[in-house]
Amino acid sequence: MPSKKSLHIESSGQLCIYCGACVGICPLNCIYLDETRITFDEKVCTRCEICVKACPVGAIEIG
Amino acid sequence: MSDRTTDVLVIGAGPAGSMTAKWAAKHGANVLMIEKRQEIGSPVRCGEGMSKDWLAEVGVAPGRWVNLEVEGARIYSPSEKVFEINEKHAGNEVGYVVERDAFDKQLAIDAANAGVEVKLKTAAVGVLKENGRVVGAKVKEFGETYEIRAPITVAADGFESQVGRWAGIPTNLAVRDMDTCLQYRMTNVDCDVRYCDFYLGKVAPGGYVWIFPKAEGLANVGIGVQVSQVKSPADARTYLDRWIEAHPGYAKGKKIDMVGGGVSISPPLKQTVADGIMLVGDAARMIDPLTGGGIANGCIAGKICGEVAAEAVRSHDVSREFLQRYEKGWRARLEEKLYRNWLAKEKLTTLSDETFDKVVDAISGVRLGKLNVHNILKAVHEKYPEVTREFEALL
Repeated sequence: MPSKKSLHIESSGQLCIYCGACVGICPLNCIYLDETRITFDEKVCTRCEICVKACPVGAIEIG
Repeated sequence: MSDRTTDVLVIGAGPAGSMTAKWAAKHGANVLMIEKRQEIGSPVRCGEGMSKDWLAEVGVAPGRWVNLEVEGARIYSPSEKVFEINEKHAGNEVGYVVERDAFDKQLAIDAANAGVEVKLKTAAVGVLKENGRVVGAKVKEFGETYEIRAPITVAADGFESQVGRWAGIPTNLAVRDMDTCLQYRMTNVDCDVRYCDFYLGKVAPGGYVWIFPKAEGLANVGIGVQVSQVKSPADARTYLDRWIEAHPGYAKGKKIDMVGGGVSISPPLKQTVADGIMLVGDAARMIDPLTGGGIANGCIAGKICGEVAAEAVRSHDVSREFLQRYEKGWRARLEEKLYRNWLAKEKLTTLSDETFDKVVDAISGVRLGKLNVHNILKAVHEKYPEVTREFEALL
């Protein structure tokens, strides 16, 4: 199995504005917004990158 | 915190949640509304424009949350030809510009005064299910996890809704059915307090740039970009900054606030109820796909949702079959327009700048009479018959 790319959500507040756009679009419902913290389920996430596009401020990176 | 019970559990204290809670309480149910934030209505995630003809229908009187009343909307084509729409015909987005946080608080106050219990800093972290039926939610209040059991659970948890999906109701969006949005509150700008302005075309692929005036010199300046047309990360910000830079009346302004968010521009969901649960507002994808306005639809559906919730509890029947009263009720009131506007959105998001220019040019010079698709197409056909062929699907 090829290893998954890494997904990084910058949610320390430098970029992220905690708007929830990524949460609503995630097709697998695996991103969680806890006011000033965003986490995602590493195991469920398929790195489809839709959240990267949905983020209005570019706080999500896939490497 | 120990486990507890209620008749109706409403998850989310936005307009749709508060409206649902209020009407369920008014019809005799015990209602508990939970809100994950510490402050209802804040931070605001909204352009703050709304129509006003629906307020009486849901029992809301204009209050201090109204910033100002606009006369109409101005639609700008890519070459900035202008089409003016009187407020009565502008759709869901025009009429009042509001303080959204104050509006949300007023609706929550109305709900509380109707007998609703409100809990802040309380997030749903899962739904409780028994024999396939939703029987409440697992919640976290001030970090402490416990269960709230209720015959009826209402998911009013907004665009980023998870409750519906936890319950097994599909609410997933296609990338062409979502806008990624960013907005600045700007001061020292040349806005016109008589109008809400909308700029169409490549300045905001698949969406638009909006100017909602809050006062003389103060406006919400925002953008929605269709996610399927995003090319690079942060396109919403890039396009908005570019638009502001190109407009001296705004480039000289100062940003004092920034909000972002997702907006669904989807067709209506196929299903918004299951045994023991109903979805309402943005969580049920009730946003008008053409305008991006969601407050009116969320409130109108919320009233129906609350009434049916109370009725279901009273009848000791919270089955999916009984809850069809809500499903049918909100669809009768909203579905046709949602679907029609989704079709219009699907068409509009494919138009070239040149076509937008021709359409706006054709209709800006004539008296349309009643503003509807037929009259618009007639005016366009007279001047640019080749353009109307693109719109045949809408007729």
